[in-house]
Amino acid sequence: MSSSSLRSLLAQAAVRGVAEARAHVFGHVLNPTGQRSAHKILRKKFIGEKVASWYPDDIQKEDPMVVQRKEQERLSKLEMLKRRGKGPPKKGQGKKAQKRNK
Amino acid sequence: MSDKRNIQDQKRRLLAEKFELRRKLYKAFTKDTDLPNDVREKHRCKLAALPRNSSFTRVMNRCVFTGRAHAVYKMFRVSRIVFRDLASRGLLQGVKKASW
Repeated sequence: MSSSSLRSLLAQAAVRGVAEARAHVFGHVLNPTGQRSAHKILRKKFIGEKVASWYPDDIQKEDPMVVQRKEQERLSKLEMLKRRGKGPPKKGQGKKAQKRNK
Repeated sequence: MSDKRNIQDQKRRLLAEKFELRRKLYKAFTKDTDLPNDVREKHRCKLAALPRNSSFTRVMNRCVFTGRAHAVYKMFRVSRIVFRDLASRGLLQGVKKASW
C-alpha cells in the first residue's frame, strides 16, 4: 500500500519536473494549480487587420472623371430643387426647430 | 455598396482595429488576479473610457453588395440572395448546385 503511494508520488514528481523543464526550454507559461490568469487573453492573436478589410475598395472612387461627374450631377440636382423652391431650409427654420421655437 | 449602414460599419471596423491593442492590454490587466485591486480598478476605468465603437462586438458582417446584415456568408461576404444570384450566373468559381 505505502509502496504504491510512494511510487505514485515519485511519478507525480517526475511528471512535474518534466513539465517545468519543457516550459523553461520553450518559454511556455505554466499554471499547474489552474488559477485564473491573464495569459488566456494575451495568447490570442490579433484580428484587427482582417476585420478592417471586410469591404473591398470601390474602384469608382479612384477615377477622378467619374467622381467629378457624380459631384456635378449632385450639384445640378440641388440647383434644380432650389429653383423650384424645394431646397433645404435655412438653419433654425426646419419643422422640428419651428415646433421647438413656437 | 455605399449604404449608410455600410459606411457606419466601416467606421466601427477602423476604430476597432485602431484601439485593439490598447483594449486587450487593459482587459488583461483587469483580469490578472495577482495585481493589487486599485491597479485593476484603474485599468477597468480606462477600458470603460475607450470609445464604444472600438469594440469588436459592435462590428457586423454586412453583405458587400446590398448591405444586408443577416444571412451573410463569411466565405463570400455576400448575403444569401446575392449569393444565389451570382452562383446561378456562374460568377463564383467552383460553386455549383449540389446534388448527390
